[in-house]
Amino acid sequence: MSPVLQVNNLRKSFGGIHAVNGVSFEVNDGEILGIIGPNGSGKSTLFNCVLGQLHPSEGEVRVDGQVTTGMRPCDINRLGVSRTFQLLQVFPQLSVRDNLILAGQEHQGTMFTRLIGRSDAGLGPAADQMIEFFRLSHLKDQMAGMLSYGQQKLLDAAMAFMAGPRLVLLDEPAGGVNLTMLGHLRERLQAYHAERKATFVVIEHQMEFVMALCTRVLVLAEGKLIANGAPEEIRRDPVVIEAYLGHGMNAA
Amino acid sequence: MSRAGVLAIALFALGAIIAPFMLKPFGIFLISMWAVLTIAAIGLNLTLGYAGQVSMAQGAFVGIGAYTLALLTQAGVPYPIAFVASGVLCFAIGWLLGYPALRVQHHYLAFVTLAFTTIVFLLLRNEEWLTGGIYGVNAIKRPVFFGWNTGKAMDYYFFCLGVLSVISFAVWWMLRSPWGRAFVALRENPVRALSLGLDTRRYTLMAFAIGSMLGGFSGALFASLVQFIEPASFALNRSFDLLLMVIVGGSGYFMGPFVGALISVLLPEWMRITEGYYLIIYAALVMVMMPLAPYGIVGLIERGYKSLTTKRGQQKPASVVAERAAP
Repeated sequence: MSPVLQVNNLRKSFGGIHAVNGVSFEVNDGEILGIIGPNGSGKSTLFNCVLGQLHPSEGEVRVDGQVTTGMRPCDINRLGVSRTFQLLQVFPQLSVRDNLILAGQEHQGTMFTRLIGRSDAGLGPAADQMIEFFRLSHLKDQMAGMLSYGQQKLLDAAMAFMAGPRLVLLDEPAGGVNLTMLGHLRERLQAYHAERKATFVVIEHQMEFVMALCTRVLVLAEGKLIANGAPEEIRRDPVVIEAYLGHGMNAA
Repeated sequence: MSRAGVLAIALFALGAIIAPFMLKPFGIFLISMWAVLTIAAIGLNLTLGYAGQVSMAQGAFVGIGAYTLALLTQAGVPYPIAFVASGVLCFAIGWLLGYPALRVQHHYLAFVTLAFTTIVFLLLRNEEWLTGGIYGVNAIKRPVFFGWNTGKAMDYYFFCLGVLSVISFAVWWMLRSPWGRAFVALRENPVRALSLGLDTRRYTLMAFAIGSMLGGFSGALFASLVQFIEPASFALNRSFDLLLMVIVGGSGYFMGPFVGALISVLLPEWMRITEGYYLIIYAALVMVMMPLAPYGIVGLIERGYKSLTTKRGQQKPASVVAERAAP
């Protein structure tokens, strides 16, 4: 069986700066892959190239064996790949429920059938289930812009799962979230993974979050892949310690 | 929609039906103008208020619609076909005008559409062989449907009101459908919308095309209402006027264009008692209103109603209970 995601020799340059410099890796079905690295190591640029937000300078991306390089983000999403962004990206003027329906509606029928069909595109019950799953039921009719930062992070993650994706790329889901909410988010992601067997790729700086959630970890530094292995191996890898983790993390 | 919203719309509709029986012919002309321009404002509200695409071209589409109807009916084309053609032509031109919106936004897009309005005005003025130039087109007929002649002011008003009702229902339907949600997503965060599978290119073009089509229908009704059209009626000031209707009424609110058009059409007439000062007073009122009620009159009413009906404290954002980790 071919991997869900294949990234082959991906490069992205901005002027003379190589933000991503010949990165290759694969993500297997059902895996939770973590990507770590210092600021400016090219993690988010890598995500943006994989998801069509940026066109890579060189290299190829395949989803389920299909080449997606050069495809638009909406077309890649329709192949079953969804994402969250580093900064919060909910729709503040829509309710929590409408945010979730919106996240799934383009996968229902055609543009014309969506115009003449039901206002919730038949996704009302699925949105309610997702709201319950992420324990946001008490907020479902609130405008998303009225929620706390942590609640918006949960909603942001829930939106990525709404269309029942095959592969989910989460860009710093724990960023700016307090410890209580972080534990809740990790627990929900693990529950979703166990229930739906979805494949995740997670960029994160919060090392405990990565080590507890991920089955394999890639390390990027200066646009290059410097390590690829199980979390415990990564924690002990002297190259990674030198480039990113530091000796404090190793001792822990 | 809330019960209060339905009640407000019902009262508004009742008022629109009763009003002509209490007015003199000039008053009926004014409320007919309100109905006609409301349609153009609904179109602009869709493009700007819901989908977030700045357009200064709505006045030009009213002009294209008006001239299409006038020229086709004078060439012997039946009114219903000429009417539909006005909308279809504006839909096609609006679709094409949407392409720049795929590359530029905000004030850059405003200038693109502003330039388009200027081009349309110059074409209407200079291409005399087609448009009559500065002399315009006169003796534009009003339609007759199955023996119902809309030639009289009252009949034509009810025809305009009927078209406004049909268009309002169609737009309401569209906005309650997933398309409405998609337009809001386009306005609020196109990058995120794209990552959720929304074909933002197609929705942007649709927002422009449908908004422009409504401008075209408005122009067709306008032509038969005034029965004489000339280029100056569709210059930049018409686009600014329509923009003002949307902003004053409440951009992104369904009822915004209805209220905005009412104010824009009637207020100058009520203020004629101030003679030459009425435009100054009108402009000053707008300047005062914008910082006090940036969501427009409908937004102000809705927010006021919500704060009255919501228990104390419930309106506070959930984010007041800070959960964000300290940096």
